[in-house]
Amino acid sequence: MRPDFLRPWRAAAWDHGAASHLLRRAGFGGTPAEVAEALSLGPQETLERAFLDRGDPSLHASIEPLLSAGGIESLQAWWMSLILESGAPLRERMALVWHDHFATSNDKVDDVRLMHRQNELFRASGLGDFRELLHDVARDAAMLVWLDGNSNRAEQPNENFARELLELFALGIGSYTEDDVREVARAFSGWGTEGRSSTFRAEHHDARPKTIFGHTGAWTGDDALELVLEHPACCRHVARVLLEAFVMPSPADEWVEGVAGLLLECEWGVARTLEVLLASELFFSSAARRSRIAGPVELVAATARALDARIAPRLAARMASDMGQALFRPPSVKGWDGGRHWIHSGTWIARHNALVELATAAQVGDGRVHVDLERSFGDALDALPGRALAALIPNGSSTRFEQTLASAARGARDANHARQVVAAVVLTAPEYHLY
Amino acid sequence: MQLSRRQLLVHGAGAGVLARWLPLLAARADAARQERVLVVLHLQGGNDALNMVVPHRQDRYYVLRPTLALKRSALHALDDDHGLHPAMNDLAALYAEGRLTVVQAVGHPHPDRSHFRATEIWHTGCPLGPSPGIGWLGRLSDQIWQREPGSMPALHVGDDEVPLALVGREYVAPSVSAELGLQLAELEGLDAARAGLLDASDGAGDVAFLRDVARGAYRAVERMERATERPDPVSYPDLPLARRLQRIARLLEGGFETRVFFATLGGFDTHARQAAQHASLLEQLSRSLGAFERHLAAAGLSERVATVVFSEFGRRAAENASRGTDHGAAAPVLVLGGPGRGGMRGSAPDLEALEDGDVPFQADLRSLWSTFEQEWMGLAPSSAFPPLAL
Repeated sequence: MRPDFLRPWRAAAWDHGAASHLLRRAGFGGTPAEVAEALSLGPQETLERAFLDRGDPSLHASIEPLLSAGGIESLQAWWMSLILESGAPLRERMALVWHDHFATSNDKVDDVRLMHRQNELFRASGLGDFRELLHDVARDAAMLVWLDGNSNRAEQPNENFARELLELFALGIGSYTEDDVREVARAFSGWGTEGRSSTFRAEHHDARPKTIFGHTGAWTGDDALELVLEHPACCRHVARVLLEAFVMPSPADEWVEGVAGLLLECEWGVARTLEVLLASELFFSSAARRSRIAGPVELVAATARALDARIAPRLAARMASDMGQALFRPPSVKGWDGGRHWIHSGTWIARHNALVELATAAQVGDGRVHVDLERSFGDALDALPGRALAALIPNGSSTRFEQTLASAARGARDANHARQVVAAVVLTAPEYHLY
Repeated sequence: MQLSRRQLLVHGAGAGVLARWLPLLAARADAARQERVLVVLHLQGGNDALNMVVPHRQDRYYVLRPTLALKRSALHALDDDHGLHPAMNDLAALYAEGRLTVVQAVGHPHPDRSHFRATEIWHTGCPLGPSPGIGWLGRLSDQIWQREPGSMPALHVGDDEVPLALVGREYVAPSVSAELGLQLAELEGLDAARAGLLDASDGAGDVAFLRDVARGAYRAVERMERATERPDPVSYPDLPLARRLQRIARLLEGGFETRVFFATLGGFDTHARQAAQHASLLEQLSRSLGAFERHLAAAGLSERVATVVFSEFGRRAAENASRGTDHGAAAPVLVLGGPGRGGMRGSAPDLEALEDGDVPFQADLRSLWSTFEQEWMGLAPSSAFPPLAL
């Protein structure tokens, strides 16, 4: 029996705001045409489409020369191109959620091929069975380098992976003891890398019995993962990740319990869980709408899409880096702290600059932006404030806001300048930065 | 008049007078502290401080350094026992004026010869156990941020990543390029409309928070622009460190709110044929700090600004076979202004009594950081180590 808040939302109030909400959360926002299409399709079909992969296969093929070149900026730009293209919105969204969750940085791994391979793992398995994902992440070469698998040997255990597995990846503080960390580390002893492959060095594995969460046995690393997955805190931990990423920060305990139950009911299937969650009353509730401070990657991508802008992926990735989210380089194994941590004077200035550049389609550095605001906002100047607000902050309009925009439009040199100023004012308004 | 609460108690006043004046004086002292600024310079790579502050009276120095020892006659005399590297004219002058304090042999009981680990220790102020992941200046920034949300408590001036020292739990300082500073993309008509919108006081939660930060950011840029419009009262040498310090001085002169600045000068990892490279780095350090100090003085800011110069470790007392030096341990720290009274603190390193080839430490770095945290900035220290009397 599912809790009430997971009941399907009645689509009676399916409007511009609801459609934008779904397109933003289940991907990286919609272009004006996609929002219009979603409005006619209804929530169910819009959600189904978010699960599809309709992307350009050549984008995937373009990766090899970038990897040969070796720079992390190329890999960042490549992922950004998949995000901006939005051929598979939910897949890329979920990959970003897992990148933040299983946060691994190239600053230590120092190998773009390994970073790319981990990214492809999130892309291929991110919407599948979480249990398989966890097993795959544990033997992912980038992760093994990142959390010191090679130095975890029977004679000298390294607890780095074991600790983060329990603390950050699967259970959360308070659900295990320091002894559990030590014992889990012993279970993973011998897991390491050879070249770019993961490997098991039996001579470094501690085969003696271990006691993990009170269960004693000669546990291997895979056994330890199974014990972690059977721990009652694990499904709650994953449920919290999904709620925070897709619904709202600081979810109520009752929702965490409900979504944890749903996850088990769906046999740990992430896609199946999201099919229910993203169609639920909770998801569409007014408390959930625009309840998150937009992260840099989603802000840049959603803005480019809302303005129907063409932007060089390398430039988009650099904009996000300037705002504090360099893909493949999270600040620590905790990932990005997010929320209000995204925002301080320095990052606000970076947001301002990127968004004004998008609104004015300025050429920046080696990247180019092209925007056709007339197509997005029309040519009727008196309708401009209303249309810009509806497109960028649906349901976020106020008289004061509209008056400010109208007066800015009246003071402009010509129609094009008016559209640029109105777009820039909306994009740099604090309200726009809620996602 | 600036009296700390403790000074007042020590110097003694009638109890009644004390009761009446204490709150006022304390408030005044707090207000003064809230204006104070700390500039931290990291000499990256491990500065060979034995060839910066040279204990030239000790014959052992010449034995340990057959090719690298500096001639006594070429040094700038500091006190009877020490001379400053010949390339450091400006710092020698600042020492003579009483502006420069040399704190001897700062270190800690767990020296580590890894750049990474040693840097982590200095940046966090935690020589023991795993890194707490936040820096000592990050802790200060957090405290200022809690008092003034939306402000910019700390800034990293440079093009590299934000150093661990500036990573706080709540606030992580941004990096500002010395050349570009904070530049705002302009669009005619945007300023006026934006000002109107940010003027609003409705809304709560995240929107109010975003609005506060945005207002603070635009104010900061305005001030920075005003600060940069004015011609500098002094000329700076064309050197990377000088440009970073110039940026800091301009910000302070323009009334910028930031209280903690961090900059680095790299290249000190001198394992081979170090003499020329080391001299050129020390010259850069000295000339840059000289111009910075002259700028502060001309702007009337000297009293408000303290600068501390450290490196993650000193180098071995003995030179190696490549006319260079290898990773060492404790080393002198330079303090300009602030809590320093000028002159030499601590005694000359005894080169006859080295520990594992290194100068043993005299002052704990945690006490040094406490001095700046508590005495200078008036904030909670990151350790229980008592401040040093500088």
